[in-house]
Amino acid sequence: MKKVIVHPERCVGCMQCMAACAITHSKTRDLFSAVFETPLPKPRIHVGVGLFNEGFPNRCRHCDPAPCQLACLPGAILRDLEFDTVLIDPDKCINCASCAMACPFGVLRYHEHCFAPPGKVVAVKCDNCIERQMQGLIPACVEVCKVHALTFEEPAEALKRKTDEVARSVSAGVSQSDLTVGFTLLNTHKRKQIELGRD
Amino acid sequence: MEHVIIGNGIAGISAAEMIRRLDPAGAITLIGDETFQPYCRPMISMVLDGSIPHDRLPIRSADFYEEFKIKAVLGNRVSAIDIANKTVSLENEQTFPFDRLLIASGADPRPINADNLHLQNIFFMRTQQHVRGMLDALSNTRRALVLGGGLVGFKAAYGLLRRGLKVTMLISSGYPLSMQVDAKAGEMIQDELTSRGLQVQVEAHVVGFDGNERVERAYLSDGTEISCDIVVIGKGVLPAHSFVPRDSIKVDLGIIVDRHQQTTTENIYAAGDVAELVDISRKCRWVNAIWPEAVSQGRIAGMNMTGRKVAYKGSLSRNVMRIFGLDVMTAGIVNPAPNADYEIMTATDRRRRTYRKLVFLHDRLIGMTLVNCVEQGGILVALLQSETAVTIPKAKMLAPDFNYRQLIRW
Repeated sequence: MKKVIVHPERCVGCMQCMAACAITHSKTRDLFSAVFETPLPKPRIHVGVGLFNEGFPNRCRHCDPAPCQLACLPGAILRDLEFDTVLIDPDKCINCASCAMACPFGVLRYHEHCFAPPGKVVAVKCDNCIERQMQGLIPACVEVCKVHALTFEEPAEALKRKTDEVARSVSAGVSQSDLTVGFTLLNTHKRKQIELGRD
Repeated sequence: MEHVIIGNGIAGISAAEMIRRLDPAGAITLIGDETFQPYCRPMISMVLDGSIPHDRLPIRSADFYEEFKIKAVLGNRVSAIDIANKTVSLENEQTFPFDRLLIASGADPRPINADNLHLQNIFFMRTQQHVRGMLDALSNTRRALVLGGGLVGFKAAYGLLRRGLKVTMLISSGYPLSMQVDAKAGEMIQDELTSRGLQVQVEAHVVGFDGNERVERAYLSDGTEISCDIVVIGKGVLPAHSFVPRDSIKVDLGIIVDRHQQTTTENIYAAGDVAELVDISRKCRWVNAIWPEAVSQGRIAGMNMTGRKVAYKGSLSRNVMRIFGLDVMTAGIVNPAPNADYEIMTATDRRRRTYRKLVFLHDRLIGMTLVNCVEQGGILVALLQSETAVTIPKAKMLAPDFNYRQLIRW
């Protein structure tokens, strides 16, 4: 089954995934009307910055077993087996934040959203764009990512590619990298900026 | 294989589910004191405060026992375990043979010593039945007295405040939740509660009650009295293990278990509020009577009972609560003893009303308190549990933009 795979080394921190996610999880699914909705649509993928200002798209890993699911008091967190996705039932959620205490990646947020009962603050996280997938579309964050920091593919294939990359990088005489020079340059530039600013 | 589980709380239920998954044919007998279907104990306080109805408490379907082919024996407490004959007997003389036994009998409210405890409207808050009783009494009560500033006392006070009662909380220590949070967070919580009408009286306890059938006033240790028409006793819990033979099963505060949740007697396991095992951050045995621990320990016990040797690293104290406009999350050691080895870092943002406190021992995080910034707290809990060495500048972990990426170095 295809999964969203994050390649943080490619992320430039443009936050377009956040916008696309918020729009997809809105009532009108259109940027220009979504911004006028109440409650204001919010993203379920969060671009944070690393120690050297590198971008990092942080989203739910849909762990199995999922710590949030085990910790959920009212049993509002369930796994959809067809899409291998951990989902939160907003009707059952009691906004207790037990899932935030259990999530090792810090992906949970708490706010109102248009698919939850009106006026009710609930736990919100990535749902793998399950509705889009049912229509044969790929998750919105992947679709919008211009630098392939987010890809939608078979995990085994992605893993093999990474293994090959690592193998090549340790082979003598071969300096070929799958990461284009632009990313390396950008990340080096950011790192140097921080290091220079420090002294 | 004959599996017997004592207790139908979440530890017992989690174990039963795990056993059924790994041993589809084995027999499971579940002995429970409470007859209500499996429900979420921490949520009873939400029934009290009115945010959820009572019928939302169950967390498993009504036919859970049939579905998992569990023989449920409800409404009775265990009176004895015969280790030589491998049987468990109930107060009503029924006996059940076992090959593997799990003691997940949980904990009972810690009783208090005071006169006239028999009066009506004096409650513990531990079971859904207790909360039902409290709700029935609410209609003609106006002044509540809550004994104890721990989690239960504090949740009772919160619930009763939201029900519109005048609430006085009596705390023997200096501030509420002194076991869960540090003095600074305790102060923030107390300020929040008092701004919503709670009266807090510290360093006092009740010596007796008085009233005509129903409780009307309480006498305090300092000679004063408080008029009240409902009392909630929240002085913590004690592991329920009176039926355990001490000569073969070692008991301290709780039943001592090894890293497989096994007691000192082979084939007898313990999990949840009744179990005492090594605490990851304290580095000694501890009873962490909390929901997520009961789930984890129940699952681990279930795996080991079916012959899958799985080790559990240890338990970790942790809690998260929302109190009106205040979110508080704590884990590990929050009030470290004065010791030069501990490194304590704090950050306060008055405008955002946030507070962060991290406790380090050398390069390991061993405790944390977060107020109004709990979303990234799980990352810190995971660090505490995995005891991962912190190699980034520690101050970065106090920053509002701290996130998972900052822990990865490449």
